[in-house]
Amino acid sequence: MSVLDALQVTLGDEHAALYTYGVLGARTSQAATPALYDALSAGYRRHRARRDRLRVLVEEAGGVPVAAAAAYELDGPLLRSPQVQAAAVATEGSSVEVLLALVAQSVGPVRDWALTEATWSATWQLELGGGPQTWPGAPELA
Amino acid sequence: MPGRPLSRRTTLGSALAAPLALAACDIDPPPRTDGTSTPTPEPPEDSELVATVVAALVSAQGVLAAATAAAPDLAVRLDPIAAAHAAHLDVLVGAVPESEVPTATPPSLATRPPAVLAAVGRSEQRLLRTVRAGCLEAGSGDLARVLASVAASTSQHAATLTTRSTP
Repeated sequence: MSVLDALQVTLGDEHAALYTYGVLGARTSQAATPALYDALSAGYRRHRARRDRLRVLVEEAGGVPVAAAAAYELDGPLLRSPQVQAAAVATEGSSVEVLLALVAQSVGPVRDWALTEATWSATWQLELGGGPQTWPGAPELA
Repeated sequence: MPGRPLSRRTTLGSALAAPLALAACDIDPPPRTDGTSTPTPEPPEDSELVATVVAALVSAQGVLAAATAAAPDLAVRLDPIAAAHAAHLDVLVGAVPESEVPTATPPSLATRPPAVLAAVGRSEQRLLRTVRAGCLEAGSGDLARVLASVAASTSQHAATLTTRSTP
């Protein structure tokens, strides 16, 4: 896998993450659960910026950024706050895994950026109700 | 997307055994795009890089041990961090069998829990900087991925020091 391939895979994952955050935000009451709403809003903004940055990185690597799908399948009913929280934690966990693959395939500024974003997603899992892990994004090492 | 399969020690160990070959063939690094004509420097010896990270982990473990001794009530919060460090050390030391694990001199800490937590927090941030630097310098992509996971874990555990109330 080349760094361009890894960038495209990461961009594809970001399209899915943004869609998921949009659904989760729409199913979260700002009045009833303001902390969760704020965490989801901040997560959405971060992933939107990440998607935009990835588009630029793909173009700089000579590729055409992959487009988002019309919709993505989500797991579970996502009707209650704990279900929304769990889905958001899982989304960030997936992001860490994909970004770590990009870390492995890249060097220099791209690796630096991927490392920063992977660390952010891992840490944001705690804001969303998740717990710390020994090997975030690399569970096979456990 | 699933991460790249990596058996616990064998792949990392072989990566460290031949960092130059990996940097040239397996990792497929992109060309530098900063516009300079400076020749690409040789990839660093990853075994030395691992030794630096191992030393930082041992130092952080020493701070945690001193913290638990100074404020035993904090053990429930600090033990998971120590366990993560031990797991990280296990993989990294196992990847370089002939390396020596340094010993750390535990610092003396105040006994007030807030001061102890602050000292641990500073230690974890120092560790995070060292692991980040190692990840960015690694010639082996597999090693970089392992160190990125260590950095993410360290950041998570450091966050638990500030997001939970003192018992």
